[in-house]
Amino acid sequence: MPVLQYLQAFFEELRQQGIPVTTSQVRDCCQAVLLIDWMHKDCFYSTLFTTLVKDYSYKEAFDQVFNRFFEEYLAPHTLQRLESLEKQNAVRSKEDTAVSNYEIGMGSPMGKGGSSQAPGGQKNPLEQDFGRISEAELARIEAFVPLLARRLAAKFVKKRKRNEQHKLDFRRTIRASLSTGGVPVNLFTVQKHREKPVVLTICDVSGSVMNFSCISLALIASLERFFQHIESYAFIDEVADITGLLLSGNPLNFRGHVLRNARVIGASGYTNYGYSLEEFHKRFKHRMHRKTTVLIFGDARNNWQESGKWVLQDIKNRVKKVYWFNPEPAALWNTGDSIINQYSPYCDAVFACPNLLELEKSLAKI
Amino acid sequence: MDSIQDIRDKMFQAGYICDDKVATVLFLAEALRKPVLVEGPAGVGKTAISQAFSRVKGLPLIRLQCYEGLDESKALYEWNYKRQLLHIQAVSNQNLSVQEIEEDIFSETFLLARPLLKCIASETPTVMLIDEIDKVDFEFEAMLLELLSEFQITIPEIGTIAATHHPYVFLTSNTTRELSEALKRRCLYLYLDFPSKEMEQQILMLKIPQLPEQLAEKVAQVVRRLRKLELKKPPSIAESIDWAESLLWLGKEDLDMETALKTLSTIVKYREDQEKLERIIYRERDLNFRG
Repeated sequence: MPVLQYLQAFFEELRQQGIPVTTSQVRDCCQAVLLIDWMHKDCFYSTLFTTLVKDYSYKEAFDQVFNRFFEEYLAPHTLQRLESLEKQNAVRSKEDTAVSNYEIGMGSPMGKGGSSQAPGGQKNPLEQDFGRISEAELARIEAFVPLLARRLAAKFVKKRKRNEQHKLDFRRTIRASLSTGGVPVNLFTVQKHREKPVVLTICDVSGSVMNFSCISLALIASLERFFQHIESYAFIDEVADITGLLLSGNPLNFRGHVLRNARVIGASGYTNYGYSLEEFHKRFKHRMHRKTTVLIFGDARNNWQESGKWVLQDIKNRVKKVYWFNPEPAALWNTGDSIINQYSPYCDAVFACPNLLELEKSLAKI
Repeated sequence: MDSIQDIRDKMFQAGYICDDKVATVLFLAEALRKPVLVEGPAGVGKTAISQAFSRVKGLPLIRLQCYEGLDESKALYEWNYKRQLLHIQAVSNQNLSVQEIEEDIFSETFLLARPLLKCIASETPTVMLIDEIDKVDFEFEAMLLELLSEFQITIPEIGTIAATHHPYVFLTSNTTRELSEALKRRCLYLYLDFPSKEMEQQILMLKIPQLPEQLAEKVAQVVRRLRKLELKKPPSIAESIDWAESLLWLGKEDLDMETALKTLSTIVKYREDQEKLERIIYRERDLNFRG
């Protein structure tokens, strides 16, 4: 069955590209393919996509593989070959089909070594390291940022716990029962007061975290749309309030926009966490209170200067939570001029976010 | 079994324009009897697709609107507590045994069927729409998962109710959170994006038959450009229909700058967005929205 073999190679290639294709998806796909008109490109494409891909972020990788596999395959000179195969298919009894579907499903275990993601498969934009990507790739990655922001926003809005809503408000219920002769017809439950989330972001926009700061600024811009109470600050060796500065424009220009419109570059022009933190503390400390969640984006590469960690300690005492997102993989922390370990005691968590996938994972842990 | 083209035609008659890709997914949903998970930005017609599908099939649409804190008592079933209480009061002097009363108050008369139970218990096949599934919590999603694979609901006091017909299931999601892999695997995946200019023009003309072609084209074109701008909320298809309709009511043959400025409030609903568009229109003196 050359077609099924061809499909199998296709599944294999999808897995190589990091798209998780499970056995049950393969089975669905094979079942579906037998039901449709193979000559119809849109139809064929849609059938494969809908059964194999369950997340829009894989679309591009899928499209590439699909085009490589089926563009020439669906060209006119191969049509006849396919048609004869289709007839063959029609002749085969249903049971046969089920068996061969089963076989093809089992015959291709999840990638090599049981993993759905082969080492070479770096095509998913979510998994590309911030450190080494081109501007075009950055633009593609950036497209996913609003999604992340929305998920984060959904997270902050405290989920009503299911058990809570069944807690009986005894006093109200009894009082209301007086009007029905002591029979508690209307039950009242305790409504918990929900806190509005308050977010404060501090973002390093220096050259060493160029790509990451593009992403984090885009994230901040998206967050500003979802939260009512949000303040954003950026720094290199001077700190500035950038709240509302990013409301419009292309996210890829955000960093330039910040550099032009906010005073983030001070006397030296080299990243200075210590000075920036102290300055932040001096000017903006009154803006933090018990309900605030502080998000810091930066690599903590301080050019061998004072850390100013006491500021972070003070911030920690003032606010609800402090989270630090570091674009470097944990292996590079505290190497060279990185002083993340001086700050980490004062954070509720420090996350390594070398790519968007890790960033998303860490946001999920909050 | 309908062909892809048939489905397209029928969906068109039901007031929904879809391309071959969408029609294929609908075709497979019917052939493989699988739920369809529809994702995409707000206002691209995720909900409308199931409504149109129910019209095509001539089946009732049962809708479950999800929200934060939705639980089984609002989605599956609930005992009618007030009625039970009144019943107990009413029969309290009739010397009935406890068992008799219990049998009474836990019968179907006192059961409030919520959308999912309604759907399962229905005598005829139904189209089930679970709207904005991403709003519910994981526990509920897990419960739903079981429901979608078994199509039966167990009520401890009554027993198990199994569906006589498998309903057609549509789930929509705005992707505010990642859905569980297990749920995604069970579904056919359909990503709806904003339509192309030509398709939107067709949609406008289908929804508003009196609309002149030239105006439809212009509205579709401008709305498409608006969606490319960074707006707080890009205009949905419903909003572009509203816009075209209000232009028609105003007796406009064409969309010019002045009319656009006056009617902006029908397509953008945030003050920031409106101000931004006004600024661009005044600056560029046209409706090209380049920047």
